[in-house]
Amino acid sequence: MNLDALQHVLKRMDWWMVLSIIALLLVGTAFIFSASYRSDGTAMADFYQKQIVWAVIGLGLFLVFAFIDYRRLRDAAWWLYALGIILLVLVLLFGKKVYGAYRWLNLFGVQIQPSEFGKLATLVLLARFLGRPGRDVREPKCVVQTLLLMGVPFVLILKEPDLGSASMLLPLAFIMMYAAGVPLKYLGILVLIGVLLMPVGWFGLGDYQKERILVFFDPGRDPLGSGWNKIQSEIAVGSGGFSGKGYLKGTQNVLGFLPRTVAPTDFIYSVIAEEVGFVGSVMLLALYAMLLSTGIRAALAARDKLGRLLAAGVTGLVFCHVFVNIAMTIGLLPITGLPLPLISYGGSFMVSTMMGLGIVQSVYVRRYQQ
Amino acid sequence: MAIRHILDEEHLRIRLMLVLMLLAFGVLIAALWRMQVSHGKAYQRDLTRQSVRRVRLPGMRGRIFDRNKVCVADNRPSYCVAIYLEELRQPGRWVRTINKVDELIDEMSKVLGVPRQVTTEDIRTHIRKRLPLPLLAWRDVDERSMARLSELASGTPGVDVYIEAVREYPEASSACHVLGYVGRADPPDDEAEPYHYYLPEMAGRSGIEKAFDGVLRGEPGGRLVRVDVSGFRHDDLASREPKNGRDVVLTLDMNIQKAVERAMGDVRGAAVVIDPSNGDVLAMVSLPGFDPNLFVPAIPADVWKTLIENNEKPLLNRAVAGAYAPGSTFKAVVAMAALENHKATPQTTFNCPGYFMLGNARFQCWYHPGHGTLTMQQALEHSCNVYFFRLGLQSGYDAIYHTAAALGLGQKTDIALDYEASGLLPDDAWKRRVYRDGWRDGDTCNLSIGQGALTVTPLQLALVTATLANGGHLYKPRIVQGIRDNDKDSFRPIPPQIVNEMNWSPTSVRTVREGMRDVVMSPRGTGRLAAIPGVEFAGKTGTAEYGVKGSGKKYGWMIAFAPYDNPRYAVVLLVEEAVTGGTTAAPKMKQVMSAIFHPTDAAGGQG
Repeated sequence: MNLDALQHVLKRMDWWMVLSIIALLLVGTAFIFSASYRSDGTAMADFYQKQIVWAVIGLGLFLVFAFIDYRRLRDAAWWLYALGIILLVLVLLFGKKVYGAYRWLNLFGVQIQPSEFGKLATLVLLARFLGRPGRDVREPKCVVQTLLLMGVPFVLILKEPDLGSASMLLPLAFIMMYAAGVPLKYLGILVLIGVLLMPVGWFGLGDYQKERILVFFDPGRDPLGSGWNKIQSEIAVGSGGFSGKGYLKGTQNVLGFLPRTVAPTDFIYSVIAEEVGFVGSVMLLALYAMLLSTGIRAALAARDKLGRLLAAGVTGLVFCHVFVNIAMTIGLLPITGLPLPLISYGGSFMVSTMMGLGIVQSVYVRRYQQ
Repeated sequence: MAIRHILDEEHLRIRLMLVLMLLAFGVLIAALWRMQVSHGKAYQRDLTRQSVRRVRLPGMRGRIFDRNKVCVADNRPSYCVAIYLEELRQPGRWVRTINKVDELIDEMSKVLGVPRQVTTEDIRTHIRKRLPLPLLAWRDVDERSMARLSELASGTPGVDVYIEAVREYPEASSACHVLGYVGRADPPDDEAEPYHYYLPEMAGRSGIEKAFDGVLRGEPGGRLVRVDVSGFRHDDLASREPKNGRDVVLTLDMNIQKAVERAMGDVRGAAVVIDPSNGDVLAMVSLPGFDPNLFVPAIPADVWKTLIENNEKPLLNRAVAGAYAPGSTFKAVVAMAALENHKATPQTTFNCPGYFMLGNARFQCWYHPGHGTLTMQQALEHSCNVYFFRLGLQSGYDAIYHTAAALGLGQKTDIALDYEASGLLPDDAWKRRVYRDGWRDGDTCNLSIGQGALTVTPLQLALVTATLANGGHLYKPRIVQGIRDNDKDSFRPIPPQIVNEMNWSPTSVRTVREGMRDVVMSPRGTGRLAAIPGVEFAGKTGTAEYGVKGSGKKYGWMIAFAPYDNPRYAVVLLVEEAVTGGTTAAPKMKQVMSAIFHPTDAAGGQG
């Protein structure tokens, strides 16, 4: 709580991570501007300004969480989890309906997405649960309990419905069990069960969710409807070519082929890929690779298992978002509606990502501490 | 040792995690390479060649038929000039694109010799709100301009011909108030899916078109068309077929409808013909009318203004939305009320000296010398006011009120047409509310001759007439026989519906009907001018003063049902500015009856 302590934290921070975060934030703001600057007169026109505000808030939270000792999360984990569940229940009861789903909650005038907070809270609790000294991760009971802890927010988010966010909890739990040392045999069985359950899950999906998955396998199925974004997103990416059309010169989103409502959010990567081409797309992936590497470095340097699991969990979660988002933009995965970390427009996700990365820093900063 | 080992394994696992993540990125990079570098040219070609045009295929609106399968609301093709803004896009600010489109429209206007239909402001609005949709620069272009345009369009990128189906009413203003009219439905401004086709552009705005809009409207389909740089169609990406709307079959008989319209001529008024055996509306006329074709494809602002500012209110369907004092036509109801409540018998007589004194108030009979002593049947024939003042007072207000209410007066019939008026059947509570005074005998006297506060719609009165004709079955008016689905080749009928059984005694019915027959058939009956050779029928005339007392403004009514023995037609005619019902409405009734029963004579004779 004093200047010395702050100095200490800053000195020991991983500046490569900070560098990659700031670079990604700048890229995000620049391309949100590109995706929306021609929408004069609509609410989207000032998205990039709002994004700057969110980025600054995010950086502040990042520093705050880096400063707080991550070991305090051990005691707070259950409370955070409970708060996350309460918010997820509240959003189902009082949430604001946007495009048919209850995802937004109005808290003191600010619209938040509880699912983002819920993911982070689940991550922290799983780290505490799996990282607890004396926990025998080789017991099948431990796997079952982990799945139960993950299952509650999973079902609540699925109910909103927000298939994209909910589905992120599955690889998250998997990654954390993997990092915690759960025998590969069990993990293999889990994957097998998952594959076997897929047909059952199919019947649990809403019509529009099924439609999106069907469209993935057959884009010509409904080119005017759900297939539209997919086709146009692929044309945007593909037409970017090797070196791109140049900043602000993309036509797919400007001409409205790529819907302006999704261009700054879930489809921001296709805007980027169109304007900066293959070279720029790879450079962006390199930035993410740098960010993820620093996360892994923090996990390896962690002085205890809690820290290791927190760092590995956050890194894994960021990775999953990046991978799934880009893969759906270029047509490798069905469209589920998932933002690109640090780049897509949106406050809640920005805040939760930055808090997560702050925790990773907190782990790294205290690497040799007693 | 074991702990060391476990830690090593966990570190190994985390290192492996990094490797796997980087491998996954490698997959993404490979996919990006394939899309952006190997196939990049193909996508670029796609992009430059593809201006993807979304051609909307509106579902064909269902048609409307009369009971004899005569089409009264049809569809015809209309040629529009569509401008595809994607192809006129200019880099930089929108103003440049707007100017470009503006110039193009000016130029085309000169070449085609047709004035502009859209303003610069329209273009701006269109770009802001409906950019992905083509801008229709001209609608419903005539064929000569169309020919010139086809030459022009083939060489001008961004311009194309667009064919849409528009409404056509082959019978013009005939039955216009029943059919109603359509308006252009704006494409829904739906930010969630602005890139879909938009929904049907014709929406019913009044009449059957509005009431059955959901039935008539089809489901639109859409088509994605890829065109090349020079504007030629390259290929169709996909399409979704539209679904046609269903047809509505009316109960109207256009022969009778037109006969009634001819008979009414150019007066202001209304007329309704109902089949007493099932409540079918065979004709419904309101005058003056309008031509619903004016609303196609869109009504010009000045025409709309004249229509709604016209004092004669041509858009108003007087037959259901107009409420008028029924005058002496109501005497038939009073007679029925007296008989059915055992307040009088067919033999009850009253003397008419030409006036009636109620306390100090003098109520005049229309025939000042006086009718002398009359039976009920004779009183109906002569429409004697004094007889009915006294009959009404003897029966009491309650009896009249309940009979009239049972016949549906003062209540909407719930016919599927807009702005239906309920009319007013005044009662004590009403008078206390409006005049802060109780019901008095003077009010009963006024009510007995269909004056005072009592008002009815021509439709209500037609139903009363039909009920007198069929001996006491009150039907709900049926305007639509059923819905035909051409895709499934099915017909869903809408059955007739009885609202109320009056359970009148045959003696009462016979008395009133005979009185009404004498109105037409007797040489002294007030409706004798309506009589036609060869057909025995019954009726009742009515004249009701309105406006300022003594202004001389009178409604002229005639109700009738024919043939007398087995009635198939119940007719109500109303003329808003009449001398009397017997002199103004009765001759028109004669024309209607002639047209129905002697169709060949009427065509030449009455014009």
